[in-house]
Amino acid sequence: MNQRDLEILSSYLDGQLSPSDSTRLESRLQSDPELVSVLDDLRAARTLLRKLPRRRAPRNFTLTRKMVGLNPPLPRAYPAFRFATVVATLLFFFTFGLNALAPQILQSQSPAFGMGGGADAPAESELFSQQAAPAMPAATEAPALAEAAPTEAPISAADLAPQPTAIPSSEDTARAIETPVEKNAEAGNVEIQNQPQVVDEAQRPAPFIPSVWLTVFAVVAMLGAIFMALMRRSSMSRWK
Amino acid sequence: MNEQTLIADAQHGNLDAFNSLVLHYQDSVFNTALRILGDEDQAADASQEAFISAFKSISSFRGGSFKAWLMRTVTNACYDELRRKKRRPTTPLEPDTDDGEEMDSPRWLADPNMTPDQQLEADEVEHAIQHCLDNLPLEFKTVVVMADIQGMDYIEVAAAIRVPLGTIKSRLARARLRLRECLQGFAELLPASYRLEGGMKAQ
Repeated sequence: MNQRDLEILSSYLDGQLSPSDSTRLESRLQSDPELVSVLDDLRAARTLLRKLPRRRAPRNFTLTRKMVGLNPPLPRAYPAFRFATVVATLLFFFTFGLNALAPQILQSQSPAFGMGGGADAPAESELFSQQAAPAMPAATEAPALAEAAPTEAPISAADLAPQPTAIPSSEDTARAIETPVEKNAEAGNVEIQNQPQVVDEAQRPAPFIPSVWLTVFAVVAMLGAIFMALMRRSSMSRWK
Repeated sequence: MNEQTLIADAQHGNLDAFNSLVLHYQDSVFNTALRILGDEDQAADASQEAFISAFKSISSFRGGSFKAWLMRTVTNACYDELRRKKRRPTTPLEPDTDDGEEMDSPRWLADPNMTPDQQLEADEVEHAIQHCLDNLPLEFKTVVVMADIQGMDYIEVAAAIRVPLGTIKSRLARARLRLRECLQGFAELLPASYRLEGGMKAQ
């Protein structure tokens, strides 16, 4: 039994063949017992399938609004209220945050400007390192010589080393390095003393954004939220 | 209210109209799912999912046979259920007999209009057919369930699973032949009334 004949028999069973194809098949069926046998088999299978008991649904599959995430239709103005509320809330938090952070930002920036010599500091340190450079070989020579003559007295080693020149130079360097630190510390102290005044001045007379705006944003956000809630409630009650 | 009006209302978001359609088609949908999945609970889950999905996508229905469109949704839900089952296989929960063995045909589904003998006979036939259906490839099973169990015509089946008419004819013929071969293994089990009908004879 080829696939084509099988399809023809199955379609014939369902009355899906054209009249001419049906007539041709019927004449073949009269002379071909194998075709008849397969047709009987197909019919038997179909009959059994049709005999399968039809089950009733175990429960109703009707849907609830919750199941399909259906919301009541909201007024046309609702999106505008939502937009205004979101924008007002964002602006409120932004301005609130800005006002809270602005004094701190100004404060953190002021010592840098207040130092005055801050920009000169790297140049100074370069200068110090250049001054320190000649002293360094001298300082390293001393232990080297000390190792070369371990049997000699320490005094002789000290005599050989160019200590008189090396030591003062390194001391000078140390002093020179300390100086800007002290200067910085002094400048810092001056700033610390000035700080309370700066903060007071920044906060008291004028916040970064006038506080009236904060109030406006908060009121708009709250009113928007209240209106939105009322709209939802009225839509829901109308829907029910 | 006729079906077209209900569909049009449902397309405008009217859930009550859609629920009228659900009540009309829920037995067909459940039976299709049951024969494809072979499990009551899974068939119920798939049916519910199918209706939810149908409501959400009803705007895509552009006319033609609503039943065919719905059957497409059900078969998709069944395929999803089968994929889920493959990932998380479960043990079927069937009641035990008095001697502690699982019953093949749960009696809670008994039809009160049948005598015990008739019920036993019907259970055995159903069990044999479902067993043979379960052994069919999925694409054959879907076609045979729609055509022979739901009584849909070839065009409806082709619309439901979106394959050419020729493919439907071919799958249906091969599915019927395979079922016939499978059911022959149950020939002795099947009651005489089922065996004799339709030329079901031993070869």
